Amino acid sequence: MMPQRLLAVIVAASLVPVAAAAQSTIKIGYPMPLSGPASVYGVPIVKGAEMAVQEINASGGVLGRKLELLTRDSKASADEAVRLARELIIKNSVDFLSGTLTSAEAPAVSTIAKENKIVFVAPTSKTIQLVSPANLHPYIFRLASNTDIDGRTGASIIAGWKEVKRVATIAPDYAYGRDAVGAFVDFIKKARPDIEIVDQQWPKLGQSDFTPFITAQMAKKPDAVFCDVFGGDFVTFAKQAAPLGYFKAIDNRLADGGEVGTTDAAQALGKDYPYGIWSDAYDPVIWPENEPAAHKTYIEHLKAFTKEKYASGWAIMGYASILALAEGIKKAGSTNSAKVAKAMLGLSFDTPIGKLTFNPKTHETEMGEFWGQMVKDDRYPFAIMKNPKYLSQGPFTD
Amino acid sequence: MADASFLFGQFLGGLTTAMFLFLIASGLSLVFGVMRVLNFAHGSFYMIGAYLAWQVVQWLAPILHGFWLAALAAALGVALLGGLIERLLLRHIYGREEIYQLLLTYALVLILGDAAKALWGTHQLSVSRPPMLAGGIEAFGAILPAYNLFIMLIGAAIAVAGWLVLTRSPSGRMVRAAALDREMLGALGANVGALYTGMFVVSSFLAGLSGALVTPIQSIVPGMDVEIIVEAFIVVVIGGLGSFWGTFWGSVIYGQVLSFGILILPGFSLFSVFALMAVILIVRPWGLFGRPLR
Amino acid sequence: MTSPAAAAARRVPWTLVVFLVAFTIPWFGSRYETFLATQIAISALFAVSLNLLLGTTGLVSFGHVAYFGIGSYVCGILMKTYGLPFAIALPAAAFGASLGALVFGFFCVRLTRIYFAMLTLAFSQIVWAICFKWNDVTGGDQGLPDVPYPDLGWMSSVPLLDELRVSDHFYLLTLVLVMLSLAAMQRIIASPFGRMLTTIRENPERAASIGLDVRGYELAAFVVAGGFAGIAGALFGIFNRGVFADYVYWPKSAEVMIMTILGGIDHFWGPVVGAATLVLLNQEITSYTEYWPLVLGAILLVLLFAFPGGIAGGLAAGFAWLRRKRAERAGA
Repeated sequence: MMPQRLLAVIVAASLVPVAAAAQSTIKIGYPMPLSGPASVYGVPIVKGAEMAVQEINASGGVLGRKLELLTRDSKASADEAVRLARELIIKNSVDFLSGTLTSAEAPAVSTIAKENKIVFVAPTSKTIQLVSPANLHPYIFRLASNTDIDGRTGASIIAGWKEVKRVATIAPDYAYGRDAVGAFVDFIKKARPDIEIVDQQWPKLGQSDFTPFITAQMAKKPDAVFCDVFGGDFVTFAKQAAPLGYFKAIDNRLADGGEVGTTDAAQALGKDYPYGIWSDAYDPVIWPENEPAAHKTYIEHLKAFTKEKYASGWAIMGYASILALAEGIKKAGSTNSAKVAKAMLGLSFDTPIGKLTFNPKTHETEMGEFWGQMVKDDRYPFAIMKNPKYLSQGPFTD
Repeated sequence: MADASFLFGQFLGGLTTAMFLFLIASGLSLVFGVMRVLNFAHGSFYMIGAYLAWQVVQWLAPILHGFWLAALAAALGVALLGGLIERLLLRHIYGREEIYQLLLTYALVLILGDAAKALWGTHQLSVSRPPMLAGGIEAFGAILPAYNLFIMLIGAAIAVAGWLVLTRSPSGRMVRAAALDREMLGALGANVGALYTGMFVVSSFLAGLSGALVTPIQSIVPGMDVEIIVEAFIVVVIGGLGSFWGTFWGSVIYGQVLSFGILILPGFSLFSVFALMAVILIVRPWGLFGRPLR
Repeated sequence: MTSPAAAAARRVPWTLVVFLVAFTIPWFGSRYETFLATQIAISALFAVSLNLLLGTTGLVSFGHVAYFGIGSYVCGILMKTYGLPFAIALPAAAFGASLGALVFGFFCVRLTRIYFAMLTLAFSQIVWAICFKWNDVTGGDQGLPDVPYPDLGWMSSVPLLDELRVSDHFYLLTLVLVMLSLAAMQRIIASPFGRMLTTIRENPERAASIGLDVRGYELAAFVVAGGFAGIAGALFGIFNRGVFADYVYWPKSAEVMIMTILGGIDHFWGPVVGAATLVLLNQEITSYTEYWPLVLGAILLVLLFAFPGGIAGGLAAGFAWLRRKRAERAGA
């Protein structure tokens, strides 16, 4: 009989009302992977968001109110992100949602934003599903470029290599990798009908050994490779591919659409980085020539804020997600989500990497990617991007 | 299209995968097979080995490229940790049902994972290959990196050493006896407690060593513990509980199935290891070299 | 020997009281409490269904999440993609999950102990891989967000119910379904069939020697447990506003196993207590720290060494001790 009694106690305890916190701050709920392999990106993004909140609050907040960031560990899992988003809304009464990393988390949280009529800014999710006509609703906004842009910008790089005829692809076996590679193949077939796709490898996400994939790909003798392996997986891939002579065999003609042009991946690999390959980045971080002044200031702040010697290339996405919300609130003159959602259509705001504008039709910014060749620079103990070139979405959208 | 040198290259690729997995699985096999403990924390020991190796390399960096020293230190450090855990926690639950042992080691996974995150953060880290093994050798048109060859040799050495110790030495006979009947061995006056601690320390040493030895070819990231543990479990099960050679062959088969499987079915990697285990257990319910459990 | 008050307390049908209290949450509790209560009810059903294997039959399944996942996918796909009503989707989910359990279970029950556990794990991971990859049907790794709520419009025309939200209506439906399922499982365990399962747990060799078809009984238990897990999965997919491949991934199996053991596998209500405790702790602690795994790990260690029978076991032992003390004092 006793367990029942305990259950009654637990149920009774859960009935005690949760004290409502005073509504003085503007609360932003931020589920993001803070543990597991995805925390490699989740943690710097949260740092960027925290820094933006600190800067905005230091200058008086928004509409005279301070911002408050409520971060939670989504474990890179869609169902955990949904649970946290709902808890943040109904328990913590957040005014807005941002955060989520992956292409599974963001569409799931978008459903919650729609149901609760709360503005949700997804910083990094790249799936085209997120704002496809079937899934678009007034409250969802996205900062990052999508998988189409990843694949197409990568294709534009490889299409420029005139001597290349045989192209292979390698990407993680899930929607992000499949979609980006699909976009790549479509684009390059149009741009360079003489190019043949000779091999496609699909290791799983978190593959611990890439050797069989690398040897199988090398056997097809590609001239160039479009790669979408990213983060910790790219570190593993590069370290296993180099001694097999992979990069040498393709003369470093590899374009990686998985943001491995950031300092994060470059620092992890150090002198083992496959110098000479091309990659993209949200933010190249180290920008030896023509660095915008705003970017320089931002990076200095970020280094001081995180107490790190070199800043992360992922922080910009968290930073910009908070800027977007703050500007939206300012323009709306209110924290009412319906008003802010309207204000964000066509909203332009400045970020350290340039001005971004939410397209009123697609709810996306035109944010592109920086592409460049990864080279040695004696000033740094790791690879840096040579002349980062900003490829905006413009020429690559339908 | 399938010429011999390509097939050989693919075979070597599979063998590399296999031997990395065997390094990890060997320690698990000892504890799993002999002590009948499902040590979920073996992956965590492996991860801590990797982080420790990285740390020692950083400390030694101003003086020398101390990879070998770091690997040894990492293995010893993890062995010590394993010994402490066995003495303080694990030994109190040997008599309990498997599920409680599982719960204990799973609790350790959670604790050690967060401890590693608190100590080393969430950056991706890596260690360079030791200079003496930076090159590679060419055989039948396929390239075999020297470091991969080294891992294969280490794997083979562990397999042979494990087999010799288990079958030819007095302590090995005790270990095997313990696997069959722990109570009987204790009744005969053997110090089963010390034997189990020793086994667990050796197993932890192997976990720490394998964690350190993968750092030159893999990134060190949070979650690497959980990524590897299930695969390691599976090769142990495929080989059959209590069979050290079984684990060896389980790893080899897994490597080859993955290596050639991706040629036929490109999206195979996602479920290869589970499909393999399901097929083997349906055909041979006790694994390849295992005996029925009482 | 017991005091009149305790005797009276024993006569109170506590299950019914708890159920009635839980039923009033949408009126007296906040929206957040209803949210928590829904989650607890569904997790409790899932955990009790696992305990039908773990505690009752002595089968350690690492892959119970497969049937939870099949249930949630079947229900989600039927309701979202095909627009079928819940009244069809729920039985289909239970049926689909049982069918899956029958097919996989057929192979699993031929194995024992660790091998059994590992084969259940293999099958659940294969189900995961299918859900993860079969884009056209399951939505692949992005899953199927936005599974609709069951049409409970009729509730809005009932007095008292009309003031509630859709999520409250769904909670009431969930509560009724969970209570019915729990009652059914309690009946099954108390039936001759259930007693056979316990016999098998205690001593499979002996059960076989008296002519019991051990595998047949184990398979039946596996199918029944799978079916109820499927119902839990179907409800969870709707509750969590979408069906995702994570539902079938093995850490979810670990989670439900922790719930079950935390509560205590030797008591029918143990897993319910475990589910409630874990859900509440998780909600509270993740609000304060990202180091929830560390806290959970520590809780598990305390549990293992201090309360080997789980919370329910610990409480039962504690109350038994109190009663004995009181009896001694009364006798002295």
